[in-house]
Amino acid sequence: MKLFDWKSELARKGHRVVLSGQPITMHCHHYNINLQKTLEDTLGKEGIQLLYDSVEYANYRDFRSLLAQYTQIKTLKSKLEMASILYQNSGFGVLRFHEVGPQGGNIFSPSSHHVTGWLAKHGRRNTPGCHFARGWIAGALEAIFHFELGHYAVNEQQCKMMRDEECLYKVTAG
Amino acid sequence: MAIDGNKIVHAVMEGSRIRESKGIIPLFGVYLSLFSVQYYNRLSFEFEKKLGKTRKTEAQALLIQAAQECGYATFQGIRNSWEWDEIVTPMIDQREDQIEGFTAVAVAFGWGDLEVKELIPEQKLVIRVSDSYEAGGYLQRYGRAASGKCYMLRGVAGAFMDLIYGEQYPDGCFTFAADEPLCRAKGDPHCEFIAAKSPH
Repeated sequence: MKLFDWKSELARKGHRVVLSGQPITMHCHHYNINLQKTLEDTLGKEGIQLLYDSVEYANYRDFRSLLAQYTQIKTLKSKLEMASILYQNSGFGVLRFHEVGPQGGNIFSPSSHHVTGWLAKHGRRNTPGCHFARGWIAGALEAIFHFELGHYAVNEQQCKMMRDEECLYKVTAG
Repeated sequence: MAIDGNKIVHAVMEGSRIRESKGIIPLFGVYLSLFSVQYYNRLSFEFEKKLGKTRKTEAQALLIQAAQECGYATFQGIRNSWEWDEIVTPMIDQREDQIEGFTAVAVAFGWGDLEVKELIPEQKLVIRVSDSYEAGGYLQRYGRAASGKCYMLRGVAGAFMDLIYGEQYPDGCFTFAADEPLCRAKGDPHCEFIAAKSPH
């Protein structure tokens, strides 16, 4: 089954860019990584949490809207596949959901916009750095399982920014 | 030959539909991503809020700086890309035309309806935007602002001038700085960015 026609979902309304009707913008790794570094350097853990919360909030809203538009997508497998397609086609990289259910699960990422961007600009980190991906995953799963924002905690147990083989996110009910 | 903005917008839209297997979008010499404007707005304005009234100026300066550094590196990558060579270079008669090319790319990225209103070589650039996602997002979430809120576009306006009239890359960043005397978030009919030589 073709989940959704990505190319027709990405469109322009005058000078605005929309994805499935939601306003989006294009930014490159320079801006995304600069924002992350500014928040981490200025606010530490509070800055990391702000980044996570902001992604979670935005993706929760957008993903719920997408699911409401694609009512033919009913099974958990197809919803997770849709999340992977959305992530990949937004240029954020690859997500592989592994035994994910309402109670949580594990997600692997062998490739990521933020990892590529961070390593290009700042090199190896000593701490996990994929806060964007963690928030994105939380928002998507909360939308899929009809939970409130903040229901899940997503922790990164391996990170390619630390030169691990791939990123590993563990999702638990918060 | 004048810069054909529509041609550039079309090229970006077509290019942004190209995916490679790793889920990365390499376009115009940078890695692109597509995401909700709500994310960027919430991140910037809540960051400013968290730093509080006493550190408001610092928060604004950090957000503008992040954007100017980004704009400087991003548009340097863009103007050195094969896409730029193929699509934009044939339309460029003089170096000032690059600003029109940059502006068209910014429109293509969904940053707003940027329009160059004035350019005095080496001195001053005025860009007008009627629908900046930052101003619109601020108004929607927080109501009318007391000062300009388009930190990303402010940094980018400075970066455009840095790239054309600053020292050779990478030494020219922050040669210029932009103000935003008019902003829709504070009730003005449009946002206006004026980039001039930085006093620092």
